[in-house]
Amino acid sequence: MKNRVTGVLLVLGGVLTTVSFIVAFFVAGVPDFGTVTVANEVQTERSLIEIAAEGFKYGRPDWGQKIFYFHVPVALSSFLVFIFTAYYGARFLLSKNREFDTKARIATEVTLVFVVLTMITGVLWTKAAWDVWWEWEPRLTTYFIMTLLVIAYFVLRNSIDDEERRATYAAAFGILAFVDAPISFAITRLIPSTHPVIERGGLETPMLLSFLCGLFGMLMIGYAVYQVRVREEMLKERLESLKASLEG
Amino acid sequence: MDPTLQEIYSLVLKQWPLVAGAYSILWVALIVYIGMIMARLGRLEKEIQVLSEAVERRG
Amino acid sequence: MAVTGGTSGRAMSWRQFRAILRKDIVMELRTKEMVTSMGLYALLTMVIYQVALSQSGTAFDPRLIAAGLLWLAFVFTSMLGLNRSLVHEKDQGCLEALLLSPVDRPVIFFAKATGNFIFLLIVEVLTIPVFGFLFLQGRGFGGQFWMIPAVLTAASLGIAGVGTLLATMSVNTTGKDFVLAVLFIPLMYPLLLAAVSATTAAVLGGPDAAAGFWAGMRMIGAYDAIMLLVAYGLYEFIIGA
Repeated sequence: MKNRVTGVLLVLGGVLTTVSFIVAFFVAGVPDFGTVTVANEVQTERSLIEIAAEGFKYGRPDWGQKIFYFHVPVALSSFLVFIFTAYYGARFLLSKNREFDTKARIATEVTLVFVVLTMITGVLWTKAAWDVWWEWEPRLTTYFIMTLLVIAYFVLRNSIDDEERRATYAAAFGILAFVDAPISFAITRLIPSTHPVIERGGLETPMLLSFLCGLFGMLMIGYAVYQVRVREEMLKERLESLKASLEG
Repeated sequence: MDPTLQEIYSLVLKQWPLVAGAYSILWVALIVYIGMIMARLGRLEKEIQVLSEAVERRG
Repeated sequence: MAVTGGTSGRAMSWRQFRAILRKDIVMELRTKEMVTSMGLYALLTMVIYQVALSQSGTAFDPRLIAAGLLWLAFVFTSMLGLNRSLVHEKDQGCLEALLLSPVDRPVIFFAKATGNFIFLLIVEVLTIPVFGFLFLQGRGFGGQFWMIPAVLTAASLGIAGVGTLLATMSVNTTGKDFVLAVLFIPLMYPLLLAAVSATTAAVLGGPDAAAGFWAGMRMIGAYDAIMLLVAYGLYEFIIGA
């Protein structure tokens, strides 16, 4: 039964993200990013902003904003999957049931994939919007820290041989990291610094639709991938026990 | 393209390879990742089927 | 809880805490190992700072990055100290002995964290005049002097508390100080950001100094409160494994 739900979610997630993609590129408008002053008036669907001192002011269309339709959903999904890491870590600490540790590990693995994708699309968006590949602004910095935290989780796991200890330590660090991520986000925003905070305004309807579709689609994909991986681990265990009983 | 239009759309001209790159990386990465998982899953299921039949024959 | 006769549970925990803390301090007083090694390490970092700043020219005001340099030194020194304090426990079998005795786990956490906190604070207090002597000749402090010890104390609390938990884990891995660094630095990042911000406000002074300082202190406080609580809650599970 669970397999069917997972399959449905995966397909639905794919459909939703595709819908988001289509709406984003073919229906939604392109917002402006700053203005540009030109010598002559031109025929374009861009509206004339004002007649400036030296020429004509038009809004500059920002095509790079399209990245945001996927970048933010992936980012949010990564954090939501990270919640599972902390949740199953806590449950493991309280029950010592190995299954929770496996689930926590898989959740972190999915988080890693999504976080890396967030970083890649984030870097590309920074280049598109600000013409630099990297900027120590709050969101990018926080995501960089999150990447380091997730990598640290796996470094920790790989450096311990004893199974129970590995699971306990990983669970504890997962919880610590999960608490640290929002603190990081808050503090990077509140520290007075010279870097600009990229604000996001409100969204018109087709943009909002695309964004929400993308968000829910990504969430479904994330959850479905997690479930599929959990199933894979359980099958692996069954395989091991079958092998053992054959040898016995 | 009319040079004035080019100036207005300057950002777009710079950005579209980045946008295309971002989306394609995302799609490719997700599809490859999910594909790999499904392939491993399929192999596991087949192996389990073979082994469980062997166990049944034994038992 | 141990059978204590007439003593209340609270008093017992306090006595245990004092006993463990005293052990660490007495050992340190006898060997002077922690403070000397951490202090020397900080001093050596200063030498590297000189190399780093050697090309910056006379017009460069090191007070702009003084806070950053100081906290950089403190972070790496504290990792050294944390690792050593826990390695000691493990090598001498102290930790196992402690676990066998009827001591509450949180007490161990507080005692060890306090010990680390004290050592870190000592090293920090010794390092700052040295740093001022080496790099800040001829430039005064812009802000008020009491701000600096305040930031040191507040941030070192967080470093010692979370660091003790992480070091307890990392000492049982096959990577030891490398694993400690990998775990420690990302978790400490927000605390360090706030600490450097507050310290810079204290060093540079100016009209916004008080506001910047208190903003930083509030964030350090928030970090300490949340993370120390979580660390305290997790310690029991860690030390049992």
